[in-house]
Amino acid sequence: MSLLTETARVLLNGLQTGAIYVLLAMGLSIILGTLKFVNFAHGALYLLGLYAGILISQSTDFSQGQLAEYGLGTLGLDWGFLAALLLVPFIVFVLGIAMERFVARPFYDRPDTDQILFTFGLAIVVQQVVRILFGGNSVNFTQPGWASGAVALPLVGGFPQWRLWVIGITTLLVAIVYALIEFTDFGLVVRAGTQDAEMVQLLGIRITRPYIAVFGIGAALAGVAGVVGGPLSVVNPTVGTDILVPAFITVVIGGLGSVRGAVVGGLLLGITESFLIQWSLVIPSLGIDYGFAPWSQVGIYAIAAIILLVRPQGLFGSEVDVS
Amino acid sequence: MSLLTLEDIDAYYGESHILRDLSMAVEDGEVCALLGRNGAGKTTTLRSIVGAKPPTVRNGTITFDGTGVTGRDSEDVSMGGISLVPEERRIFSDLTVAENLHLADVARNRSNTIGRSVSVERSGMSTEEVFDFFPRLEERDSQKAGTLSGGEQQMLAIGRALKQNTQLLMLDEPYEGLAPQIIEAVENAIERISDSGTTLLLVEQNAVAAIGIADRCYVIDQGEIVFEGEAEELREDDETRERYLGV
Repeated sequence: MSLLTETARVLLNGLQTGAIYVLLAMGLSIILGTLKFVNFAHGALYLLGLYAGILISQSTDFSQGQLAEYGLGTLGLDWGFLAALLLVPFIVFVLGIAMERFVARPFYDRPDTDQILFTFGLAIVVQQVVRILFGGNSVNFTQPGWASGAVALPLVGGFPQWRLWVIGITTLLVAIVYALIEFTDFGLVVRAGTQDAEMVQLLGIRITRPYIAVFGIGAALAGVAGVVGGPLSVVNPTVGTDILVPAFITVVIGGLGSVRGAVVGGLLLGITESFLIQWSLVIPSLGIDYGFAPWSQVGIYAIAAIILLVRPQGLFGSEVDVS
Repeated sequence: MSLLTLEDIDAYYGESHILRDLSMAVEDGEVCALLGRNGAGKTTTLRSIVGAKPPTVRNGTITFDGTGVTGRDSEDVSMGGISLVPEERRIFSDLTVAENLHLADVARNRSNTIGRSVSVERSGMSTEEVFDFFPRLEERDSQKAGTLSGGEQQMLAIGRALKQNTQLLMLDEPYEGLAPQIIEAVENAIERISDSGTTLLLVEQNAVAAIGIADRCYVIDQGEIVFEGEAEELREDDETRERYLGV
């Protein structure tokens, strides 16, 4: 394989990994930017989307969970992947609205630390409930039949088709969210609210309404991330908390409240990770053959550290008054 | 009956008692000035009227146009006809001039008003009327508001308020930080707004500027009203002016 082919391949893989971060970070970032709510339970929404997706699309052996004791060892509607892809966003949207009402709202006026402690606790509770019901072992989320296998791409050669779909679906959703934020009255209120929520209210706008929608949309995006990312990763109850860290780093790199920032930040992380996983330093004359894969997680923190040193407000964030 | 009445207001920031038993009234069609030194309680008074929190109003009643508005949410008070041009203007600097103005229209969208007891029948100026009023804003239409000069930002903040359903326009230190010739332009705009029949409540540290434009004045000191009367009376009353306003 030539260097060019290899590079194109790694880039595409990076775009796919990054796409999942983008889906998570968009919602997280808008919620943080508008409602100033630090939601460590955002990963739990991803987890719930993932398990809802599995339960809708296929029939799965959950024999290690408590449900098996009630004769529910094998669960699932087996409606196919497309049904999951269409239904899960609605389910998680509703969960997001409920989360805004019962989890976020009582904590809006409380310090960030209270929000973090409470939502992180909630994330662990959700994770443990999933573990109790469905078992802690990894299960397999089957790729949709219509998108499995590889397609031949120019330059790259054979590439797993589903990864391309993930990139495509994410692109579509980013375009929708961007249009919603930039070109609608709803988006105008959200952008104004990010800057000065009280002034928006002084203009007569009941800002809680768009904010509820923001929470729901952010949650739905996390749910979609679970469904499209599930077939490409390990599926077990801890994935929600595992993915939270890169999602937050994406937000911090990109800048709070910025859709553009979430996209650039997510792709930057995904591509960095992908390159570090694939690349190794080989100098045959010195007998060096060192793979960077173990450093892939370190890489994303290093990127975050460098960007924050140079631009503390993130790539696309505006400087905010932290008082 | 007065358009706006404050009766025996006690307002607090946390546990600190800011407004003490404050009563004042603004008559329909007049220009009323609330004067006082920095920290006297002027902005707190305006925030209490529009229902912004903090402060918390613990005692007293605020009546606007015959309806009690004490403790109501600021978005409802605003829809009821009170517009505020706040201190430091608070325009949305990342939005364009047109977007800043359009936000006042968004308040009348069905998605915002449905299920609320607010009226959308009366509306303020259209964007075109605001542009007639401040032609400079039309030139800067698609520019980010943050790139405007101080005077233009003040025009934008006033224009935004005029687009609301405004019966009472409250201006918090509208001349602060502006160059003398800009102050004149803003003064001129305020006079034209008043001539069009809108009631004004002007909050100022700069007593000389305010006395020149106001019909009646209140002077506030340490959260209490210490003077009430015609602007002419305050102009003559050297002792009050020197003691509470330093001029």
